Amino acid sequence: MRKISMKAFILLLISMFSLAACSNSSSSENTAASNNGKSEGKGTTTLRFATWDSGEALKIQQEIAKKFEAQNPGVKVQVEAYGDGFDQKLAASFGAKNPPDVMYMWNFPAYVESLEPLDQYIKGDSELDLNDFYQGLFNYSSLNGKIYGMPAGFTTRVVYYNKDLFDKAKIPYPKDGWTWDDFKQITKKLSNPSKKQYGFGVVPEPDTYDLQGLVWSNGGSFISDDGRKVKGYMNSQETIEAISVLSEMLKEKSAVLVGGKNQQSGDDIFKAGKIAMWESGVWPLEGFKEAKINFGTVEVPSFGSKPAKGVIASSAVSIAKDSKNKDLAYKFVKFYSSPEAIKMRTADLPVRISVVKEMKMEQDPLLSPFYKMLERSDNTPAFLLNKNWNEINRNLSAAINAVMLGQDAEKLLNTAAEDSNKYLK
Amino acid sequence: MKTKSRVHKTFIYALLILFSLLFLAPLFWMVTTSLKGPDELYQFPPKWIPSVFHFENFKNAWISQPFTQFLMNSVTVTVLATLGQVVSSSLVAYGFARFTFKGRDFLFVVLLATMMIPWEVTMIPLYMEFNFLGWINTLKPLIVPAWFGGPFFIFLLRQFIMGIPKELDEAARIDGANAFQIFYKIYLPLMKPPLILVTVFSFLSCWNDYLGPLVFLNDQSKYTLTLGLAQFKGMFGVDMEGIMAITFLICLPPLVLFFVAQRYIMEDVSKSGVKG
Amino acid sequence: MKAIHASSKPYMEFNQKKKIKWDKLVPFLFISPWVFGFLAFTLGPLLFSLVISFFDWPVVGEAKFVGIANYKTMFTDDPLFWKSLWVTVKFAAFFVPLNIITALVLALLLNQNVKGHSFFRTFFYLPSVISGVALAMIWAWVFNGEYGILNYFLSLAGIQGPDWLNDMSWALVAMVIASLWGQGQMMLIFLAGLKGISKEMYEAASIDGANKVTQFFKITMPLLTPTILFNLITTIISAFQQLTLALLLTGGGPLNSTYFYAMYVYENAFKYFKMGYSSANAWFMFLIVLGLSLLVFKSSSAWVYYEGEVKKKK
Repeated sequence: MRKISMKAFILLLISMFSLAACSNSSSSENTAASNNGKSEGKGTTTLRFATWDSGEALKIQQEIAKKFEAQNPGVKVQVEAYGDGFDQKLAASFGAKNPPDVMYMWNFPAYVESLEPLDQYIKGDSELDLNDFYQGLFNYSSLNGKIYGMPAGFTTRVVYYNKDLFDKAKIPYPKDGWTWDDFKQITKKLSNPSKKQYGFGVVPEPDTYDLQGLVWSNGGSFISDDGRKVKGYMNSQETIEAISVLSEMLKEKSAVLVGGKNQQSGDDIFKAGKIAMWESGVWPLEGFKEAKINFGTVEVPSFGSKPAKGVIASSAVSIAKDSKNKDLAYKFVKFYSSPEAIKMRTADLPVRISVVKEMKMEQDPLLSPFYKMLERSDNTPAFLLNKNWNEINRNLSAAINAVMLGQDAEKLLNTAAEDSNKYLK
Repeated sequence: MKTKSRVHKTFIYALLILFSLLFLAPLFWMVTTSLKGPDELYQFPPKWIPSVFHFENFKNAWISQPFTQFLMNSVTVTVLATLGQVVSSSLVAYGFARFTFKGRDFLFVVLLATMMIPWEVTMIPLYMEFNFLGWINTLKPLIVPAWFGGPFFIFLLRQFIMGIPKELDEAARIDGANAFQIFYKIYLPLMKPPLILVTVFSFLSCWNDYLGPLVFLNDQSKYTLTLGLAQFKGMFGVDMEGIMAITFLICLPPLVLFFVAQRYIMEDVSKSGVKG
Repeated sequence: MKAIHASSKPYMEFNQKKKIKWDKLVPFLFISPWVFGFLAFTLGPLLFSLVISFFDWPVVGEAKFVGIANYKTMFTDDPLFWKSLWVTVKFAAFFVPLNIITALVLALLLNQNVKGHSFFRTFFYLPSVISGVALAMIWAWVFNGEYGILNYFLSLAGIQGPDWLNDMSWALVAMVIASLWGQGQMMLIFLAGLKGISKEMYEAASIDGANKVTQFFKITMPLLTPTILFNLITTIISAFQQLTLALLLTGGGPLNSTYFYAMYVYENAFKYFKMGYSSANAWFMFLIVLGLSLLVFKSSSAWVYYEGEVKKKK
């Protein structure tokens, strides 16, 4: 009897260890099965497509993928939704040389070594008319003179305003061509701290990327055009002045600090009718409509007679260098930026001129400011100018954060520029 | 004397209720948020009870992605991993608690140390290993390692075993029972409360695991609930009602498990132990 | 398995020789699952990260050997390293004792003989079931300076609350509060430990005339020390690995006042793609936590009381 129990014990252990081995042998079938999709026949190829989209926008990606599958029998597009964990997941899969074939991309400097340049494919493709794209967008997906991503969607940034609050205070709605002085006066009139109502919302730790439009509008910038100098740019009088516009409104209590991306964001507080104006991309537009807010959009203000400038947030699709199905991947990328697919992407703005014309988007009063801002977005963002921008940005972000919390802008930006020098080679 | 004990009782109840409110208030908000319409989500001062209960939020959130599939995957992973965790951890814990052998303390320190490894840096090599084994995009990376014992649970069970008087197994040894029989017949019944505790914890940690599924799964048909939940939150936008509704639903199974299991955790085993 | 039940037979002599071998082997059989698991799934990745900590590896692209440069940079040329380490130490200094005390107090409260204890237990445990984004959203809603619920209640009492998450001196406090809220697991471990103390001991003590306070310090505390040791070590570990809340709620701000060391490691790896550097960071933290835990563990022989061990000595 004792023998039996000992045997049982050892058997248990052995079975536990062999579990690993067993499952290993069966795994090859499993992965094969998963590669083959659900019920399709043998010759199916799986194309992996990674996106950071979520919710409604994700559903759109899945529909586009389905359409591509319908047009290309024998292909299964596996939409992999990494959401917020996009970089983490992508880093792991690139590190292990098992990346998705096609993926969303915006941070080209970080991933460029593992991305396939698209120029060869584009050159050999007579059907593709690059001129139908807004040309400014390629600026955001090219590096060292090569195109690494095909524009798929984008947004510029505009000012949203709550019409009801303007009406109540009998203030006329803002118009394109307005200035920051106009802006400040309106925020002052629309603020009433005792009712927790403010003219504008400011993020305490703004993404410096989003602030570039503001800085450029005042003729400043964070980095020189050749990407080699930050001193005299990051801490120039123009840059300091631009950043101070926000911190001054905060000091005067005509603007309020709103939370970052998971906190009660400006989107939410705008929905609650507690801030009269809010600067953002196209993302919250549908949500504002759903929440039945009576709102309008307008170009961002300018500094006096200087032209207002904007920055683009662009989603491009790229192909991994290690992809085993590059031709198919390109076919997908091409379909993805075709008018047919672009029309399905309602979560951001169409990248093709023909689609915009056809859908009469420039006539839509809520959407037209986005296209006007596109024309104003011809500067190159800092992260494309220097490969160490990430490091430099660490200093810059900390400084701007401190400015928003009420500290001296000039001193902080001077220090940030000083500290960043070591990253400039 | 009696009034004193009554005052004492009232005080205890007051504290219990106060803490309960503290712990329940945010949850209450979670539930009401999940039932609100878009126009009431962001009011200030906050609206505690929505004027219209939008129960369809739950349905909409559930059908927006294949959540039934995610649920099946989560159940598979959680049940198999928890089973493995309980079986293996109890064996290992007994090994560490009741035997003296060469290198035991060193091995135990190594075991403790594995709890402290920051996953940030082992994640990519682990991914490579699973990729080599062909396990990426299968549920195996989430299940198989659990069958080799978790350091947290081993440590927890070891502490409990070390609190059990040794006289019991000496008696059994004289009766001719071998180590495994002693473990199975004497210790397992005594370990019931901590084992249930391990079950509850292991269930919760597998059920709520986000990072493992995120890194090791690719295809949506393999996703677990937490990954499904993450699909309400992209890099540039959040669907608040959806997150709250799904989070509420995800919370239910571990809560129900706990509610049912708690009386076994709190069971007084010292008596049954004497009998064994 | 059923067969084992009928096995309480007298000692069998013929296996005498084999038994000695078995006796040596048996402990290893028991711990073998973990040993094999460690060799299969932990050791490799661990060594990999140690090796890569001497490389410059941008994840995307090739790794380049740089010797001890990563460690050198970390100690001599990276203010964020020291900053994040300090933030974590401060957090741990508050969180570890508070967490253990809170969990113990709640467990003692639940251990009272009251009606409806199963409901109270569930309520107290409830917060630890919620995870991830929803948790961050709940806390954002609580802590928002202008529109948050905490300041709303404070204002009812006439107190002007701070802008918790945007105030350098309060953000870390908010993190401690939020982390304490999820102490359910530890409370349960304490509760199970309390239940493990036999009633006879208390009965004997009250016959001897010991009051509740004496009973607590003479019986409850000593017999709870194994549980306290466990909770102490695991809390230290979790304090140093604290990441999710900061990542989701404050992003390390304002002005890096909640920039935990784990977040520093995380960002170096996945935001700045410096995997080699991040590995060096992680190994340093690993050594600190290991050192602390070993210290606690070594000290345990002085204050932890195992009933099993003591009985043996008699």
